[in-house]
Amino acid sequence: MAGKKGKVTGKGGNGGNKAELVQDERLQAIVLTDSFETRFMPLTAVKPRCLLPLANVPLIEYTLEFLAKAGASEVYLMCASHADQISEYIENSRWNMPWSPFRVSTIMSLESRSVGDAMRDVDNRGIITGDFILVSGDLVTNMEFDKALEFHRKKKAEDKDHIVTMCLSKASQFFRSRCHEPAVFLLDQSNDKCLYYQDIPLENSNQKTSISVDPELLEDVDEFTVRNDLVDCHVDICSPHVPAIFQENFDYQFLRRDFVKGVLTSDLLKKSIYAFITEDYAARVESWQTYDAISQDFIARWCYPLVLNSNLLEDQTYSYESEHIYKEKGVVLAQSCKIGKRTVIGSGSKIGEGTIIENSVIGRNCQIGENIIIKNSFIWDNAIIGSQTAIEHSIVASNVKIGSKVVLHDGCVIGFNVVLDDNMVVPVGTRLSEACVERQPSQFLDSEPYGFDDTVDRAAKSTNALPARELVGEKGVGYVYESDDSDYEDVSSVLDKVTNALAYRFDDLYLSDNSISSISAKLKKKRRSSTTSAYTDREEDDDDEDEEEDFDAEAIATVERAMENNHDLDTALLELNTLRMSINVTYHEVRSATVVALLRRTYHFITTQTLGPKEAVQKVFGQWGLLFKRQAFDQEEFIDLANLILEKAVVQAFEKPEFIIFTALSCLYDHDILDEDVIYTWWDQTSQDSSHAEAKTLTGKWVEWLRTADEESTSEEEESDVTDSE
Amino acid sequence: MSTDINVVIASFIDRLKRRQISGSYQVSLETLQLLKRFVSAARWSSIDDLIAQLRELGTRLGKAQPTEFTCGNIIRRVLALIRDEVEEELASHNQLQKNAEPMISSMFSLLQKPSTTASTPTAQHSTSTSSSAPADQHKTDLRQVIIQGIKDLIDEIANIDEGIQQIAVDIIHDREILLTPTPDSTTVLKLLIKARERNNRNFSVLVTEGFPNNTVTAHNFAKTLSEHGVETTVIPDTAVFALMSRVGKVIIGAKTVFTNGGTISSTAGVSSVCECAREFKTPVFAVAGLYKLSPLYPFDIEKFVEVGGSQRVLPTMENDRVGNHNRLDTVNPIADYVPPENIDIYITNIGGFAPSFIYRVVWDNYKQQDVKLEN
Repeated sequence: MAGKKGKVTGKGGNGGNKAELVQDERLQAIVLTDSFETRFMPLTAVKPRCLLPLANVPLIEYTLEFLAKAGASEVYLMCASHADQISEYIENSRWNMPWSPFRVSTIMSLESRSVGDAMRDVDNRGIITGDFILVSGDLVTNMEFDKALEFHRKKKAEDKDHIVTMCLSKASQFFRSRCHEPAVFLLDQSNDKCLYYQDIPLENSNQKTSISVDPELLEDVDEFTVRNDLVDCHVDICSPHVPAIFQENFDYQFLRRDFVKGVLTSDLLKKSIYAFITEDYAARVESWQTYDAISQDFIARWCYPLVLNSNLLEDQTYSYESEHIYKEKGVVLAQSCKIGKRTVIGSGSKIGEGTIIENSVIGRNCQIGENIIIKNSFIWDNAIIGSQTAIEHSIVASNVKIGSKVVLHDGCVIGFNVVLDDNMVVPVGTRLSEACVERQPSQFLDSEPYGFDDTVDRAAKSTNALPARELVGEKGVGYVYESDDSDYEDVSSVLDKVTNALAYRFDDLYLSDNSISSISAKLKKKRRSSTTSAYTDREEDDDDEDEEEDFDAEAIATVERAMENNHDLDTALLELNTLRMSINVTYHEVRSATVVALLRRTYHFITTQTLGPKEAVQKVFGQWGLLFKRQAFDQEEFIDLANLILEKAVVQAFEKPEFIIFTALSCLYDHDILDEDVIYTWWDQTSQDSSHAEAKTLTGKWVEWLRTADEESTSEEEESDVTDSE
Repeated sequence: MSTDINVVIASFIDRLKRRQISGSYQVSLETLQLLKRFVSAARWSSIDDLIAQLRELGTRLGKAQPTEFTCGNIIRRVLALIRDEVEEELASHNQLQKNAEPMISSMFSLLQKPSTTASTPTAQHSTSTSSSAPADQHKTDLRQVIIQGIKDLIDEIANIDEGIQQIAVDIIHDREILLTPTPDSTTVLKLLIKARERNNRNFSVLVTEGFPNNTVTAHNFAKTLSEHGVETTVIPDTAVFALMSRVGKVIIGAKTVFTNGGTISSTAGVSSVCECAREFKTPVFAVAGLYKLSPLYPFDIEKFVEVGGSQRVLPTMENDRVGNHNRLDTVNPIADYVPPENIDIYITNIGGFAPSFIYRVVWDNYKQQDVKLEN
């Protein structure tokens, strides 16, 4: 076709060509510019997600570029939040020019609150005339769409009930943009028909992972595969029935969870959905984490031929240099600055002497001072950064002013127009915005930040209306934003915090992902042998549905669960560790939680009279006390542990707290968890403290006894030494 | 009218960027079609104006895909054509003016086809003032001349393979072993098939696999060759040195040929093959159509070599664990620069040339002042 176009001569050539295209196959596309999520807060409070720049190109460009390549002829952008900005952007973009490969129109669907709403709106407006592509506005892909379309048409010819082809991309277990909507697809081996879809809860949420499949679904299927290694980037080729189905089922909110699952399990509809599996790069910018990952992949040319130096935007002038460095024209680099690999620098930016930039994206017209270290970060347009600042793995949005000697720790998000004063230190995972972002009060309650040190904690609490002076300094402008992702259904706020942080907390996350996939591997085997429903449990199977938990409750629950279900120590430790890292708390909290859990268990045994106090303590601490071995590492920490036992036992309101404390400590001593020195030092400290005097009586005796025994034994030893030498 | 042509240009640039037009053959033909429309639609007050417009167009096309030199080459060819025409015009005009009074120029004017029409009005007009009338006449005239020139160029490019084949067929001997590291070159493919068919010679061809970018192409290439009765062997890229001692000739397809005689090949790995060939004193034949000759000099080779996608090197994105920023890096250049000393002869549609002679051919086809298109 490319060849034909040029050969059409004369004035009417272009018009004629278009007419031809329309006749041929008019491919419509619906772009959902709104994700109906809040993962990119606080930045999305000001700008819609699809206009946030990824490698200095607004996200929507990637999607539109994909559609242009796919040969779409009409594109409808469904806009909800910030619709005016999107429509303004599109109006002034090259897509609105006469030579745009497709006709683009924005549809204000302001009242839409979910994908389902948007689809119903599409149906109401009656814009769909044939098969259409449904994509989200944050897609980055180099997928060869022709193949998918061909697949779709072929399947459609074979199967009249075919309504949707989902384009899924194969990914490895550790692929970074995989973790967002994990799901299991049951596919018919022979024709890639999707038999069943089930979203699985995110790893380390405390919901059970199991899928039950109605045997009826598998009735005439010879062989099928269960896959959870697919990246679902929401590229669908839909038939015109799809919006209508949304219309009929007004409760459908999500494209996958509701629609796909609904269609597949429905007895009435009898429609079928196919999966097209590609190995090309495809990913959605869904969270900070994927933003980070996709930027890096894009810069490292994983989406070739979609690369930065093909200069997607008209006015861009990127050129490529070895080690994946992209520079626009008009970049001013000081002689002694170092530009490391995988770096993008936009035009008009100035980089001062001695500055080191690595693995980062610098926008246009940024003023970057001297002796700055910027690593793994994203600096958007017009940012000003003062000398000797260190920025590690953070996002600095447009027009931000950062003073000199500022330290931005891992995972910071500095919103538009924020000003940071000199010498400020911003702790891990902080998000700042220029104006206070409103939240619903109910969400505010559970959005206490974890793991911030005390000062920040206080700052965060008081930021309801006040700017965060502790963070931005006297002359600074900025409010702390706390994540309110808890409105995201089915996912506890704790968990979402993990997945939504930009910071490097991924490793723990992936540990548990590993366990998921190993389970699903098991699952596959099971499935092969019997086509009836299968059930698998996870370590974390539990019906604790309390979503609003802080770390303590969460950790206590974890330990209790471990004890109840008699997990092995390693599993319990792993879970605790994951939790600890995900919320970024110290071992002190972990110990405290464990102590509380153990004491509660003991209390439970005693009150239900299953065991006597002594047996209960010995049973619980004997078995689970070993946890402390991996929670405390030096003397101070063990002392802290002893203190905790003392305090918590008093709080727990045992009948005889002194006895419990004594037995617990001696039990730990017997198991070599606490050694004499620790106990002595601890006792020396606590015995002077007058609090809990009652509770300490027995322990005091025990310590004294220990001491004397110790002295005896050492003197004996000495004696024997003496005799030996003689 | 001018908006219409702008639309065409912009969509052409978009398609170039999106790589919906690929391969220098296709790019050259499409550029020529575009130029034809451009020239027929353009308005210009003087010939310099047209040249400036064309240069600007050339700059835009060059920016759309900096590693695709064909667009620039074609535009420079057309510019050279215009300049030649203008010069000729000027020369004849001067001659006419000089010889207007004596009127014994008939012998000269006989040789010049277009000036015969132009000479009559000038003769009729007053001899001293060069009014606008002849300029007008020139314009329509020139437009047709340029379009005719472009059509000729299209013909030339369409018939390039034949020209090359005529020359190349004779260099392949009976029972010779050839090696080609550029399986994506259709010129090479056609040449080999032609040599087999026309001369009925028995020769065998080694095809390098071209991992990772060209493996599929290489396999198809080998298949097509064997279907045409050529004994073909696919060899891994690593085996080139080991097998080179048995190879009689290396045939490569060039993507761009620079004035110094160096070439950018369309596949990575060609450079090392040529280096091996040099080690074994095996002759290297580079096959290139005339339109691939570029008047540029390869000062910054790194800029000319395009780096492709990483996904070809490491399949299915398995390279990275999350959060690990010091992760595995991949670099996948999809072209290669072969220095002139590693090439023995260029076979073009107008004959075979030594690399050191390429600059002569270049200046026969391009004008010095068009080397830089940006103003």
